Amino acid sequence: MIDFDFIRVKTLDKALKFLQEKGSVTRLLAGGTDLLIELRGLTLDDPAAPRYILDISGIEELKDIREANGSLSIGPLTPHSKIASSKLVKRYAPCLAQACSTIGAVQHRTVGTIGGNIINASPAADSVPALIVLDAEVTFKSAKGERRSLLKDIFIKPYQTNIQPDELLTEIRFEKLPEGAKTSFIKLGRRNALAIARMNIATVVILKEKIVKDIRISPGSTTPMPDRIRIAEEVLLGKVPTKELILTAGQKVSEEMIRRSGVRWSTPYKKPVIEALVARALRQALGMEEGAIEN
Amino acid sequence: MKKIVLKIKVNGKKYRLKINPNFRLLDLLRDQLRLTGTKEGCGIGECGACTVMIDGSPINSCLVLAGQCEGKEVLTIEGLEVEGKLHPLQEAFINQGAVQCGFCTPGMIMSAKALLDHNPQPSEEEIKEAISGNICRCTGYRQIVEAIKGAAGKSG
Repeated sequence: MIDFDFIRVKTLDKALKFLQEKGSVTRLLAGGTDLLIELRGLTLDDPAAPRYILDISGIEELKDIREANGSLSIGPLTPHSKIASSKLVKRYAPCLAQACSTIGAVQHRTVGTIGGNIINASPAADSVPALIVLDAEVTFKSAKGERRSLLKDIFIKPYQTNIQPDELLTEIRFEKLPEGAKTSFIKLGRRNALAIARMNIATVVILKEKIVKDIRISPGSTTPMPDRIRIAEEVLLGKVPTKELILTAGQKVSEEMIRRSGVRWSTPYKKPVIEALVARALRQALGMEEGAIEN
Repeated sequence: MKKIVLKIKVNGKKYRLKINPNFRLLDLLRDQLRLTGTKEGCGIGECGACTVMIDGSPINSCLVLAGQCEGKEVLTIEGLEVEGKLHPLQEAFINQGAVQCGFCTPGMIMSAKALLDHNPQPSEEEIKEAISGNICRCTGYRQIVEAIKGAAGKSG
């Protein structure tokens, strides 16, 4: 394990002050479930090796799940276990509760945080597609000020965000889904527990008199940066959702995957599977029955 | 690398330790406190052999820096025995043949204890989910699930 100095801060102000001076040689410690694995992989002369580990896990003001004017506000230090079991999240953003309940195993969810999941920026992150279909916004603070962004806009490439060394994620916020909104989240892994998502999918569907009024589709581990796939959403928007249209939406997602990522060694597997996964997630959200054979 | 001072409670005993900041909780427990019941199976949080409880919740001690545990209470497998009497989970594991090589056992028992502390009468599905972060290469898990069922309702 590499050497570093360990600094613990209890308030946001102290954290921002430290990052203003030393942010570029500091890594943040929240839950540690991604950080410690990364640190183990570093050698002493690695340029990515941090000089300081800043333990922010004790900053109480970053740990809440709150209702705020028709929105839910989630502190980045909230552990996945708390989000998965939160009455507020289960009611107003069920796909997020489901997503967080699939991350790692019990041991990871106890201490791992939603902020850490976002900042690690893995294309296979589970909370991220769920947050994207909630049109989540994130807030970053620094000693210099504050900025807000749509969550999906912070990802530059796999494992990289546009977060500056002096910035700290302080809030994740999204509007509560209206009564009657339907959501789904499906994770495909090599095993049922403690698995990285081979692919995952989050959807939100809002119907008005049987017609799709609003629909949001975000697949994970499918495109280099997570996003909503509008071209698939448009297949169903303003229409009565039928099994045929749902299958077409799935095909649009696979076409978009290939357009953005190119044809890769994984494409023969991912193409039919993402189509089926999207269709299954939409049928699940809409409460449609699963047939024995996909037609 | 500046050493840090850590105040921590382990198995009910208070410690004030001066440690290297790059110690994981696992290193603190095994190397410094000589509590070698907790095992390192993979070091990357994928096997659960290092599972201990912090403030009542199960975590992988290979993924936690010791410094993160300031002011916290840690419970390891050694903390289950009370005045020479084994915990019902430990008894059940022995009686049900749930211990073969024994390497996964401490972590498995800590995950089981975390379950029973919150849910004294779990279903078989709930038991399987509670231990889904712990890998066993010997038993095939059946005896482990039976042992946890047997211990359920008997733990205080």
